[in-house]
Amino acid sequence: MISNLLKWKQTIIISWSKYTAYRFNFFLQIIGPSLVFFFIKYNLWSSIYQNNQDLIIMGYNYKSMIQYHGWGFIVFLLAQGHASFNLSEDIRLGRISSYLIYPFNFWEFHTASFISFQLLQIIITAVTIIILYLLNIIEIESIFYLFHGLLYSLFVSFFWYNLQYFTGLLAFWLEETWIIRVTIQIISSFLSGAILPLELYPNWLASILKFSPFPYLSYYPIKVFSGSIDIGLIYLYLFISVWIIVFIFINNFIWKKGLRLYTAAGM
Amino acid sequence: MEKIIIDCNKVEKKFISYKKKPGLKGAIHSLFKRNYIEKYAVKEFSFQVKQGEMVGLLGPNGAGKTTLMKMLTGIIVPSSGEINILDYSPSKRDKIFRKNIALVMGQKSQLWWDIPAMDSLLLLQKFYEIPEHKFKKKVDYMAKMLEVTNLLHIHIRKLSLGERMKMELMASLLHSPQVIFLDEPTIGLDLVAQENIRNFLINYQQSTQCTIIITSHYMSDVEALCDRIILIQDGLKSFDGPIYQFENILGHEKEVSFSFSSPVNTKSTIFNNLDAKWNNDFTKVDLRVPENLLKEIGLKVLQEMPVSEFNTEKMPIERVMKTLMKNPKILTKKP
Repeated sequence: MISNLLKWKQTIIISWSKYTAYRFNFFLQIIGPSLVFFFIKYNLWSSIYQNNQDLIIMGYNYKSMIQYHGWGFIVFLLAQGHASFNLSEDIRLGRISSYLIYPFNFWEFHTASFISFQLLQIIITAVTIIILYLLNIIEIESIFYLFHGLLYSLFVSFFWYNLQYFTGLLAFWLEETWIIRVTIQIISSFLSGAILPLELYPNWLASILKFSPFPYLSYYPIKVFSGSIDIGLIYLYLFISVWIIVFIFINNFIWKKGLRLYTAAGM
Repeated sequence: MEKIIIDCNKVEKKFISYKKKPGLKGAIHSLFKRNYIEKYAVKEFSFQVKQGEMVGLLGPNGAGKTTLMKMLTGIIVPSSGEINILDYSPSKRDKIFRKNIALVMGQKSQLWWDIPAMDSLLLLQKFYEIPEHKFKKKVDYMAKMLEVTNLLHIHIRKLSLGERMKMELMASLLHSPQVIFLDEPTIGLDLVAQENIRNFLINYQQSTQCTIIITSHYMSDVEALCDRIILIQDGLKSFDGPIYQFENILGHEKEVSFSFSSPVNTKSTIFNNLDAKWNNDFTKVDLRVPENLLKEIGLKVLQEMPVSEFNTEKMPIERVMKTLMKNPKILTKKP
């Protein structure tokens, strides 16, 4: 048990050095996409509200709309930052061969790397929260909601990680999997409330979406951060945990099936 | 009797791929209809290896060597047949099995590029659960033997190919594996680096008595390291025996060449039936001399001709391999 923990610890340390080996590239890779996404939304809503500062759209005034997207930026950073890393390449180009030889599994190695990435991401997120707070883009409702917002976003990131691992494993059967990954990300951006708050959607769509996993990935974590969540926190944690467990089982099954097809190309 | 470490019984690996015609038309056609082809990369392959043996797995490109290595290390699963290594089935990938084998791939780095070798070694120390004092001793010993002590803290991507290969070897042998698989460990290395790696492997094998399976296209690797050769051609085993038997596959003949200080009489009876091949000005000849006549003919030429230099071939297995690659059917005619 202790020796296993040491394996995890050392992998986390090594991954940390790997991620930070190319500092500029790392910074661009994790902050770049979410920052661009945030600025597009910031400019869009600023121009919509420009002529009428008192305008209220489905309960959102200018300040609360910008705050929604400010927290959306934080959730994206913490929950989806890792999603840009491609795991299927390891399978397609035969790079998993090394992990099949080591007495430390492919899943363990990647999960340890993911944890390492998230540790870095927590630091970056903390700095970003301070900057957005000082710029008056976000308001911190209470330490309680800030803590749960961060914790729940980490749960969401683990869900995304498992989903990403799932699409990566499809490389055992498919030659290219990036299109599946990107499609899931785009659909999720629309349906999770990352682009528009769910209140702006037609009622029928919003009520259907509440039964799907999508709002749990952006809309609810944003609501937790802003302290305006209307469902129990425990329910949020339970819901996402069930999905994580489901994906862990599916991934385990797919890994076992896929490995029988693995040809270790290029080795 | 020495223990059998590797036991392969009628192992086969079948790959399925599909034919795709070139261009856009081919791409669209392959979306709807695919002609699948089944190909056996390895077929009915059986062999055993005893503890402490160093076996060369030879064969031309695409013969199935690497596929066999992948099956032996548990990276891929055989389509049929059984493999037993150290009483484990590799494809089940038991952690104890993985702790007792190593794979060195000359064409593929297993170390992490963006960190120094020492960091990779520290990670592997934890993976293989090597106690601190053993780890230090082993790293010191190998770094000294491979002369890389001062390179351990340099990023892998900044090392030369030869230096990187030495690090790969260190990383693979850190956990003192009982069975080592070396897939072209000297590929792309200069002559001195090749020799260094070979000498290291010989010393290492002698001191640990580990079992080594090696594939290489360099016959000097095979000649220096292996006692036994297994030849694979088109997925099938076509030879399995000691290296001296392999050298004699084409008959008990030696290639001898003589250089002369002035042109000599090519019609001399000495050269009869020796398949003499002359250069243009008749100052050099290559002969194929039956082993039992080597001394007699050598003496005659030396005494009767103005010999300035002579040598017998350095690596008969290279000639055998070349001949076998040009004419693979020789072995089926002459087992």
